[in-house]
Amino acid sequence: MGKHPLLSEKRGEKQLLLGNEAIVRGALEAGVNMITCYPGTPSSEVVDTFRRIGGDGRYKMEYSVNEKVAMEVACGAALAGAMSLVTMKHVGLNVAADPLFTTAYTGLPGGLVVLSADDPGCHSSQNEQDNRGYARMAHLPCFEPASAEEARAMTRAAFALARDLQQPVLLRTTTRVSHMRGAVTFHTLPQAAQTVAFEREPMRYVPLPAVARKRHAALNNTMQRAQEIADQSPFNTETSHGNTKLGIIASGVARDYLADALVSGGWTDKVDLLELGMTWPLPEKKLTAFLTSHSRILVLEEGANLLERDVRALCQRIAADVSIEGKDEILTDMGEYSRSLVMQRLAKWFSCPCPLNPTPTPRTDLPGRPPNLCPGCSHRSVYYAARQVFGDDAIYSSDIGCYTLGVVPPMRMADFLFCMGSSISGGSGFSEISDKTVVSFIGDSTFFHSGMTGLANAVFNKHKLLLIILDNGTTAMTGHQPNPGMLQEALGEDCSHLDIEQIVRAFGVTQCKKVSSYNVRGLIKVMSEFKDLPGIRVLIAQEPCVLYARRTLGKRQPNVAEVIEQNEDTRRCLKELACPAFYMNGDDVAVDQNLCSGCMVCLQVAPKSFKAVKREGGRA
Amino acid sequence: MSQDKRLRIFFTGVGGQGTLTATNLLARTALMANFEVVAGEVHGMAQRGGVVESVLLLGGWRSPKLDHGEADLILGFEPLETLRALPYLRQGGTVFSSSDMLPPLSVSLGVAKYPSLEAIQSEVQKIASQYTFLPCRELGIKAGSVQSGNTVLLAAACASGILPISLEMLAQGIRTFLPEKHQASNLEALRLAEAYLKPSAA
Repeated sequence: MGKHPLLSEKRGEKQLLLGNEAIVRGALEAGVNMITCYPGTPSSEVVDTFRRIGGDGRYKMEYSVNEKVAMEVACGAALAGAMSLVTMKHVGLNVAADPLFTTAYTGLPGGLVVLSADDPGCHSSQNEQDNRGYARMAHLPCFEPASAEEARAMTRAAFALARDLQQPVLLRTTTRVSHMRGAVTFHTLPQAAQTVAFEREPMRYVPLPAVARKRHAALNNTMQRAQEIADQSPFNTETSHGNTKLGIIASGVARDYLADALVSGGWTDKVDLLELGMTWPLPEKKLTAFLTSHSRILVLEEGANLLERDVRALCQRIAADVSIEGKDEILTDMGEYSRSLVMQRLAKWFSCPCPLNPTPTPRTDLPGRPPNLCPGCSHRSVYYAARQVFGDDAIYSSDIGCYTLGVVPPMRMADFLFCMGSSISGGSGFSEISDKTVVSFIGDSTFFHSGMTGLANAVFNKHKLLLIILDNGTTAMTGHQPNPGMLQEALGEDCSHLDIEQIVRAFGVTQCKKVSSYNVRGLIKVMSEFKDLPGIRVLIAQEPCVLYARRTLGKRQPNVAEVIEQNEDTRRCLKELACPAFYMNGDDVAVDQNLCSGCMVCLQVAPKSFKAVKREGGRA
Repeated sequence: MSQDKRLRIFFTGVGGQGTLTATNLLARTALMANFEVVAGEVHGMAQRGGVVESVLLLGGWRSPKLDHGEADLILGFEPLETLRALPYLRQGGTVFSSSDMLPPLSVSLGVAKYPSLEAIQSEVQKIASQYTFLPCRELGIKAGSVQSGNTVLLAAACASGILPISLEMLAQGIRTFLPEKHQASNLEALRLAEAYLKPSAA
């Protein structure tokens, strides 16, 4: 097999790369030694790309069980001298925050870059928190690329800075930047970085209170140096048209929308720009010069009003006589910015009419295509069984994964959800107060992520909970990344399989049963049996993700379902199982054989209505 | 490249159709032809059986997402999705769309109604100055694979002259960027699109 194009050694070569791939290239150009992660949209392609390209022995990498662990492994490696990268989505950094705050005190000689891929607009997340806040709170220099080329260049610069300062550095993208494609010009590809020899220094690396107090001062000194570097950074640039009145300060992806808005409005020469790519610490000298040479300033930043607040504070400190504007009713702290929103904001600021044409109102009467569990998804049959057994009498505590889609009717199998792993502990708390049976659903990867601790707590504190572990043998939602529950043959030699049932039993759970997710009768029997029992009951419903089984394990069912009788049961199956392979052919229920996976759950739900027939050619 | 050559293209289709692959093929072809290229897409939850949208910007635009009324061209890989994406088209823009329907679940289950192709076309006509519907899926199957139906649409757009990319450049892109086993069917799809648009040349 030839070398992957991302490992090209040709300096000056130009490739069209995804933002996340450009981060990989930047890390390679810096000489990254170690990569850890927990997958999460929109960050996943970074580590998946490292896995795919192999790397010729340049680096070690792992899918860790959660973000805190990923952070700690990366910190350990960086302390041992490796140039390290840890990647995660924004909410993952909440999980990983504990080690991060303290390693910022101790410092990490090898250099650590933390990728936080934020998700304004909640494309695939439960909130749109702005992780630039972590840079301020934990004292991390921060880079915010706005193009694929910048993603490469800033990643490379972030590593150089992390090693120079011996300090964790935050690389913060958003969904649009991580999933943007653009031309990237390659810099030289050196060998992997030399590791920095570890020198035993407990009075630095063991943060006893006396040590921590000293290290806080050391951190402040380092950040002062970082501030000087930010003032010199080529990523913080001023574009001047000699305007003494109007100046715009912009950071992150807002710079892209601003650039297009200025061109569209014909406003390019109307304002001076200060664009920030290295956004923390603030380049105070550059900002001071800009603030004191303009009388009206507009701050553009997607997300929270962090830069705006800092600029206002700086103005107060330097007593700058300047009007500052930022967030308003057009550009809020919610959702994503866009070219036309920025145009509207600029027009208001310029007090001129906005040169945008009215646009048609989108139709709301078109049939939608909401995300749904796939045909043959092993979660669907478990949810069907649970609805048969518990109906609306139970409270359903859900978790994060494809199976969150169980919230969609007719399953309606999610009443609440906080975050990764919360199904068990949140469910435990709920059942302490409520009289209702609480049924918690958690996937295999999420169980290893942070479900295990919740289960240990539930056993320890004698909670009452019916836990259903939806074990599909992979991290399905984010693209089938490995987790400890994956089969040994799929994991290969580098990882060890951990058995969920053994773990559950080792925690002291005695009421534990494992059933195939496609065995509807078996599922109903165990759920009915568990329904009124006290204490912790765990049902492991096991069957590989249907996409993973087909694509990776090469398993494909030889048969498909066919409707043989139209009756009340057939219609009930359509309504209650609602498999996407069903469709109405006039008044008749039919099965689309191209979509049918052959799980044969419908044959169990309505035995007289369906039969298995041999699949004819076609895909599925 | 001057600003009047700037172009914004909105791609829309259904998860699994290969909308992102088609976007990427056109984007890489455009870069090979020395155009300034930015493309944007959304991964993750949005792809589980849902609508897949992406954008391709040529000539210097930087914003990785489009607002309503901004697209010069819509490439719709499924007619209902073309209709849904229509607000993104600027007045007087161009639409190329597949005419082969993939009914969403609500329609399959008889809960919702799929608009007729005539109704879709008449909505398109209200905004677009130029539009073409092609049986992409059918032509793709004829060319050797359903997925090559996406190339039918790309080829139709290239042949129309609305894109600064010629059919020959697209063919070069297919030969350069697609895996060898998919090249023949996609080159055939390109030929079929050309023949479909100009029956006399067939």
